Amino acid sequence: MAKETLTEVITVADSDTSKTTVAPKERSIVGWIAENGIFVFTALLIVVALVFVDGFASWVNITDVFHRAAPIGIVAVGMTFVVISGNYLDLSVVAQVATSAVILIAVSNSYGIPLAMLAALLAAAVFGVVNGVAVGYFKANAVIVTLATTYIGLGLLRLFSGGSIFFGPQDGLIREFGLGKLGAVPYSAVVLVLMTLVLAFVLNRTNFGFLIRSFGVNESATRLGGTNTALVVIGAFLVTALAAMVAGWVLAAFSNTAVSAMSSGYDFRALAAIIVGGTSVFGGKGSVLRTLLGVIFVSVLTNILVLSGITFGYQQMALGVLIVAAVAIDALSRKAGKR
Amino acid sequence: MTKASSHIGEVIIEARDIVKRFGGALAVENVSLAVREGEIHAVVGENGAGKSTLMRILAGIIEQDSGQVVMNGTVLETGAKNSLDAGIALVHQELSLVPEMTVAENIMLGYAPTRVGFTKSQELNAIATSALDEIGVSVDVNERISRLSVALRQFVEIARAVARKPKVLILDEPTATLTPAETDYLLDMLQRLAKNGMAIIYISHRIPEVFRICDSVTIVRDGQRVMESSIEKTTPEQIVDQMVGRELKLDLQTKRTAAAGDVVLSAQGIRAPGVEGIDLEVRAGEIVGLGGLVGAGRTELVRAIIGADNRTAGRVTITREGKTVTLTSYQSAVRNGVAYVPEERRTDGLALGMTVAENITLTNRKELSRYGVQTRSKIAKFSQDLADKVGLRPPEIRREAGQYSGGNQQKIVIAKWLGRRPDFIVLDEPTRGVDVGAKAEIHRLVKELADAGTAVLVVSSDLPELLELSDVIHVVRDGKITGTLHGAEASEKSVMSLAAGEKMVDA
Repeated sequence: MAKETLTEVITVADSDTSKTTVAPKERSIVGWIAENGIFVFTALLIVVALVFVDGFASWVNITDVFHRAAPIGIVAVGMTFVVISGNYLDLSVVAQVATSAVILIAVSNSYGIPLAMLAALLAAAVFGVVNGVAVGYFKANAVIVTLATTYIGLGLLRLFSGGSIFFGPQDGLIREFGLGKLGAVPYSAVVLVLMTLVLAFVLNRTNFGFLIRSFGVNESATRLGGTNTALVVIGAFLVTALAAMVAGWVLAAFSNTAVSAMSSGYDFRALAAIIVGGTSVFGGKGSVLRTLLGVIFVSVLTNILVLSGITFGYQQMALGVLIVAAVAIDALSRKAGKR
Repeated sequence: MTKASSHIGEVIIEARDIVKRFGGALAVENVSLAVREGEIHAVVGENGAGKSTLMRILAGIIEQDSGQVVMNGTVLETGAKNSLDAGIALVHQELSLVPEMTVAENIMLGYAPTRVGFTKSQELNAIATSALDEIGVSVDVNERISRLSVALRQFVEIARAVARKPKVLILDEPTATLTPAETDYLLDMLQRLAKNGMAIIYISHRIPEVFRICDSVTIVRDGQRVMESSIEKTTPEQIVDQMVGRELKLDLQTKRTAAAGDVVLSAQGIRAPGVEGIDLEVRAGEIVGLGGLVGAGRTELVRAIIGADNRTAGRVTITREGKTVTLTSYQSAVRNGVAYVPEERRTDGLALGMTVAENITLTNRKELSRYGVQTRSKIAKFSQDLADKVGLRPPEIRREAGQYSGGNQQKIVIAKWLGRRPDFIVLDEPTRGVDVGAKAEIHRLVKELADAGTAVLVVSSDLPELLELSDVIHVVRDGKITGTLHGAEASEKSVMSLAAGEKMVDA
């Protein structure tokens, strides 16, 4: 036992000359695609569309692509926060978008736009807090929780609306916003870009955004750093809820109607954009800008399929295959990165 | 130290000119190794030297870029199953047992005896029992792994390798989590296995262990084999010199002459799962050590004190600048000047996928931001200063923490807490799995903290470390403090006898 002290009493005389091995970052083809693929593929896809697809390169078509992409894109950039925090996704965006749209149209018809917006904000806060508390504080699984809140939300909405469709007035602020343009760009696309910029700033430069990323990389280390991690998760779901609220407004303004079924499929489409953009479903890795590119990629691809006369069934399948490919690249690049 | 080498036979496993790159960097560079039947062959080297990579290549878990693994004269194809079939078993450095499954199920995991898809549980238990018997450990094979101590889990892990009846057994730092008594037991067991003809490759940082049981030694530094020798022809000093590759001198084990100040941390009647009512005080400038066997409840105790885990009873206060605050949660502890360097550095200490700067930012957000927006210039300067202060090498704050070796990772963990200038810091096994050089630097940092007036609480299973650092040592057994040793009263013997009590280790 006396010998055991030998190594322990040794100290470094001249530590500066010592060489330390640092493992390099793994470079592989899959890793490169996971890192840069979305930039290259989006550019390629747009070039292909411009050159080969009839009708793509018209201003009317591109405006239409933007109109369709904007609400889903706004949901996706918000939901990126939940995904990066490592909590998979928020399915209840389907209910949140519809709730926001119905409230905006229905309440503004009787009480004016400011009150309608306030009511929608309140509803969004309720969604965000309920999801966030269940997942962050009670550690429930995000998929199950948000599936439940989707049903509760849609159920309440159906009770409230009686299943009917709400129509906005033929003129007024909402209509103007829905059809208006800033120069040649529709307002909905402007909102999408603004949301992306604001949320990118929040994620990359603020303490809150930092904690979202840190939590996504290592929950335990983040908690032991003295962080109230329940608040971080609640924050992530609140950001998603606020984005879904804005998406609901944009959607309602564009179509000037609102109905509880208007946003079905938004959960999956938003997730597709996030994953295709290269944000990891395992949390920690990704960005809001990537999600914007993912939205553009998915929207342009869908538009190409529509213009080429490919039926909806095949479009759905294409989206599914795309997600499988993106998830596979994500998983493979992680595997390659591991030693 | 006399060794009967009559049982050593022919070369059974051989690595020839193994080369392995990760990305651009060479992890293993032209290393050759030959081990004979019945021989215990030590592979030593600092963390990051390439030992573990080499072993994983031998076990077929990762593929070499060039070179061959030859077993009994036949070149092995890479593949974990090929290697297992050829009789090579690896006991991992990190425990890889499934906590929710029983001892027997874990031992037989992957090749449980079955009949048309149904497990034959009697046969399973019988094989598992005989594997445990072979290594002389008595534990109920139907017990769940999660209910075993860390030390027992280590032994189950070895039983799992032995159950495959390997001809070559590779152990990657098996004693890192064991106390001296448990280590003794393990070393005796390995000698027994070798006498029966098993070839054993033994990776360790601990040179006394190497001299006790090994027949020969290979030293690896920076991916290269720098020395191979039979154990009789070398000395501990020579091995350490070759391992570190730089000039070393023996420290005169300078004790700090600290005058402890006022009580900073006071914990009364702490109870939690595994902690049976403990009172503890730590004064400013004082290093209090917690000794004891693995599983004695030390980690549970410190986590309950700072609130990282819930406590069922007890009151903890912290006094700073004359004001006393009762700690109600972990967050309130951190807010009031408590720092915690956890036992599990990779899972609890660091976000490995984030940069050094980001890891340091986590605990110092207020100073590094304005209105919640992070100030990049401040972050860069703040993190760089701390990285330099703890001696991070290379001191590049934009690198991912996961790219650093264990010792450097631990320095990052310490750096992020140093930035808060804590009043009370808990370090749980601060140098486990850390190489000799980094260990000395971490010890220096801990002593500097105490000299600057911080109250320090250290948990360590490494007795020399505990003795070197601590002004006072409390020994914990079965969730209670069984004795307190001041200054000269503390020795390896006095700590161990309090830690083990009357009853010796189960294993």
